[in-house]
Amino acid sequence: MSTQLVTGNHAAGHSMALAGEANRTARGSVCGIYPITPQTEIVEYVARFPFSRGRVIPVESEHSAMGVCIGAALNGARAFTASSSNGLAYMAENVMVASFYRLPIVMAVVNRTLGPPWNIWADQGDSLMFRDFAWVQLYCDSSQDVADTALLAFRVAEDPRVLLPVMVCMDGFILSHTSMEIELADQAQVDRYLPPCDIPHHLDNAHPFTTAGMTMPDETLAHRVDLGEAMARVPDVFEEHRAGFRDVFGREVSGAVTAYRAEDADHLFIASGTVSTTLRDVIDERRARGERVGMIRIKMFHPFPADAIRRLCAPASRVGVLDRNYAAGSGGIFWKEVSMALQPRGDLLVQGYLTGVGGVDVVPATVHGVMDDLATRETAGAPVWTGVKR
Amino acid sequence: MIEIRIHGRGGQGGVTLAKLLAAAEHREGKSVQAFGVYAAERSGAPVQAFLRIDDEPIHNPNQIYEPDHLIVLDPTLISPVILGGLKPGGWILFNCDQPPEYYAAQERGKKFRIATVDARSIALKYGLGSTSVPIVNTALAGAAARLLGMNLESVIDAFGDFGFGGGNIEAAREAYESLRLQRSEPAPGEMHRPPATVGAAHHLLDENTGAPPAVKTGQWANRQPAWENQTPPCNFVCPAGNDVQGFLAALNRDDVDGALGVLLETSPLPSVCGRVCPGFCMMQCNRSELEGPVNVRALERYAGDHGQAQVAAAERRAERVAIVGAGPAGLSGAWQLARLGYAVTVFDAGAEPGGLMRTGIPSYRLPRQALERDIDRIRALGVEFVGDSRIDHERLDELAHEFDAVLAATGLQRLTSVDLGVDLGRGERRVMQGIEFLDAVSRKDVRVDGENVIVVGGGNTAVDAARSAFRLGADSVQIVYRRTRTEMPAIPEEVDEAMDEGIHIRFLTMPLQIAGGDGHQRLRCQQMALGDADESGRRAPVPVPGSEFEIPCDRVILALGQKADLSLLPEQVELHQHAPIEQDGAAPVYPAGDLLTNEGTVTAAIGCGREMALLLHERFSGEKRYADKPPEASVVRADRVRLHHFAVHRPHGENVLPVEDRAGSFEEVHRGLDGIEEAHRCLSCGVCNACDRCVTYCPDGVLHREGDRIVFDYDYCKGCGVCVNECSRAVIYMKAS
Repeated sequence: MSTQLVTGNHAAGHSMALAGEANRTARGSVCGIYPITPQTEIVEYVARFPFSRGRVIPVESEHSAMGVCIGAALNGARAFTASSSNGLAYMAENVMVASFYRLPIVMAVVNRTLGPPWNIWADQGDSLMFRDFAWVQLYCDSSQDVADTALLAFRVAEDPRVLLPVMVCMDGFILSHTSMEIELADQAQVDRYLPPCDIPHHLDNAHPFTTAGMTMPDETLAHRVDLGEAMARVPDVFEEHRAGFRDVFGREVSGAVTAYRAEDADHLFIASGTVSTTLRDVIDERRARGERVGMIRIKMFHPFPADAIRRLCAPASRVGVLDRNYAAGSGGIFWKEVSMALQPRGDLLVQGYLTGVGGVDVVPATVHGVMDDLATRETAGAPVWTGVKR
Repeated sequence: MIEIRIHGRGGQGGVTLAKLLAAAEHREGKSVQAFGVYAAERSGAPVQAFLRIDDEPIHNPNQIYEPDHLIVLDPTLISPVILGGLKPGGWILFNCDQPPEYYAAQERGKKFRIATVDARSIALKYGLGSTSVPIVNTALAGAAARLLGMNLESVIDAFGDFGFGGGNIEAAREAYESLRLQRSEPAPGEMHRPPATVGAAHHLLDENTGAPPAVKTGQWANRQPAWENQTPPCNFVCPAGNDVQGFLAALNRDDVDGALGVLLETSPLPSVCGRVCPGFCMMQCNRSELEGPVNVRALERYAGDHGQAQVAAAERRAERVAIVGAGPAGLSGAWQLARLGYAVTVFDAGAEPGGLMRTGIPSYRLPRQALERDIDRIRALGVEFVGDSRIDHERLDELAHEFDAVLAATGLQRLTSVDLGVDLGRGERRVMQGIEFLDAVSRKDVRVDGENVIVVGGGNTAVDAARSAFRLGADSVQIVYRRTRTEMPAIPEEVDEAMDEGIHIRFLTMPLQIAGGDGHQRLRCQQMALGDADESGRRAPVPVPGSEFEIPCDRVILALGQKADLSLLPEQVELHQHAPIEQDGAAPVYPAGDLLTNEGTVTAAIGCGREMALLLHERFSGEKRYADKPPEASVVRADRVRLHHFAVHRPHGENVLPVEDRAGSFEEVHRGLDGIEEAHRCLSCGVCNACDRCVTYCPDGVLHREGDRIVFDYDYCKGCGVCVNECSRAVIYMKAS
């Protein structure tokens, strides 16, 4: 393990490559790759990695990149890839197939605004379009978090109680292209942390069978119930492997939700990704002025940590949710999920804020504006746009 | 925390500079953060990079809006907004060749400090980047290290992370040493001296507008576009030397007269060529890569038939020229020479000028009025025709003493024959030559109604003879050819039309002998197979043993080709391209057309006639009026045309006489185009047609049209290449600089 000055892309590529290499004693690893800004450096990193037992397969589209991962995982390999924005949209059909096949594929998603109009900056709308695709989604707030979460993702995905694919998401450019010092794992650590990938339903010539063929409604219904039960087991499995991560690497990897100065907060703010970093600094500033403000950072999106959020929001009277994404016609996607989780609390004012949509920089002034609005409004209303210039 | 913002342009290495400095500070135990913000992903576009340095871990993910210091890779990037964000007293590190005192140390009431380093010269000295775009970031890293109080060795060590060595290290060292700092306050001991300024300090911003000074962004270019017309393949290949693209361009301006004028520059016979040319230009037309070649032949016919041209001869010259042969080569020579002012007399064995165009090409392909239209234009120049005047060896010698020069263009007078065991008497009923048959047809002096006719051969004469026989009411017409369709020299469309008319072509069939008598005549043939390629490059037919068979026939027409009859010329003369035959005491004799080249098409004869006439003119006037053949490299082939810029438009075919109306009639089969829309399909390969896509798409507005040219402002052209990619026809290309 060593401290190095690297970008978020480098961190993701490094962890995924070491995870792939760690499966060299089992059925190896496969990465289907197709470039798109701002994730290209990830697959470039992986493509340069000298795997002992692994293949990096350049293909002609994101749809095929995921197709490669599906085929590889169906054959028992540890499979991973990366994508962004409209590339993910093009991949969509196979994104769904991966999870419905129950394949523990890990995908790094560098969040980038969906076009048109064309824009390369951070917005979570791309990964959140897969809200209902039975993928576990983890939103990172630093390059260190990316490096560590990418390893944790394999452990969770491949756990026999889960067997679901996992997205490891980071804000485009803000993390993907920013150089900072982080601790990078070495191969021996990853070998210890990740057991050989064992996909119980992988294809086997000695025991031929057909997978995921035509099923009747009753069987499909059962498949969906199974999916839900696997999703429901994710939080506990995640915590278990988070503890295992600490044992091997000697540091914490952030949890499904992280509370900050929330225990006695009257006004609580909820955010994900790098927006939560800015939010934390503003909370310190406001706390110094004696304001009872706190925050919750959501890392895990689906399974949504509704219980944890309900528990952490108990002391608050008002909750503001900051979304770097926008579902036209309703509002921020995290806000909707939080509102659903907090529905039993009829006394709580829950207000949504659209911050940093389209890659707009979310600066302290933006956050102050959000806090002032929440403090002064009489009732919750439609989501509030911030940073609009037109 | 120290926050530094770096301003550069795409390609200058500003983001890497931030990462280099971060890596160096990391070595000195600092927490660092470095990232860039990219605007348009284009060389020269403004790029910002950010660097945070702190003793504590850094979390702030925001861009830097109020930097402590600026590093500016190009002084012209300074703007009021950038300076407005700089904290008071902050350093601005400039890449420029001026001392820091050159600049005013305050702008709009805000004070700052300036440091300069001539990173550009340093980068050039150590060969970093190209001479036009030196990469200055490693030099600036050295300078910034000094300003930040860093150990230079930390910077140089950090270079290793990026694979930078050699000149980069030297550049960083030199920049570290040569950094110049502005002294905003006199140093101790220097109080008695005036401030060290160089003339009046220059403001970073325009006093009135706040705009940065102009920068000649063309300095960043490492390549430059150029505009120059190239050679279209149609023009390159046309044997007549026609400016095909030029006359199509005139048609596209709805200038039919102008189109005819362009054609008449090189050929006096557009109405003829527009009917009988094989269409060499069409065979090489780049539009074939889309939906089919431009129908140039039909458009030439349209211009020839519908255009009006005022043609005048130059002032009459003293020299008199005799032209022997009033076929296409002779007429072409006469046309060029008469226009240049020569007194031209054309001799021909026939009663009327035209040669084989009159006697050998049937009127269903070339109506006589079309031929007359072209010939009348030549007559109008004062060219004298002497008909019924066959010129033999002796007479040619006389002409060479009566005239100042002779152009000999007698064509191919010797007919190739084959021994079929019978005499080939002139007008012989059973076996006759195709050329003679067609001549008789043109004079309405032959009947084949009710006969079974066999034509032997695969050229245009064979097809013309067969189709004429069909029109004269032959009971059946067959063509016997010893090779296959692929090797047939006849114009493919003519072959198709012959087959449409019910003419049967027996390929790989060789005639051996005529057997039987009147009423029971048969042509004995042998089946052939294709063997190896012969000297012409075509696969030679070889007999299949034991495959002989007989075809009943009343008449056999031989169309086996013609050769030049050189007996006309002085004895033991060797013909050389582009050289007259010289004899003591006699005028030079210029051979021209098929006599010289044996090309066998009207088009090639026109070209050769013109070339030899202009050579003749050069001899008498010293004036060279013909252009040398352009190099093949200048020809814009389909791979250089942006075919995807063009919409698909099906070719316009000519109106055609229905097959059922052709029997018994010599009415023209091809009826021409209804209009000139077909010309719109011309891609104008290699020739600027003022589409001005380049003007529209140039992102920097550094090119414009001046008349028929595009002109570049190289002071501001960054060499991005958009104009090259947008030029549909390869007129704009990138030259190395």
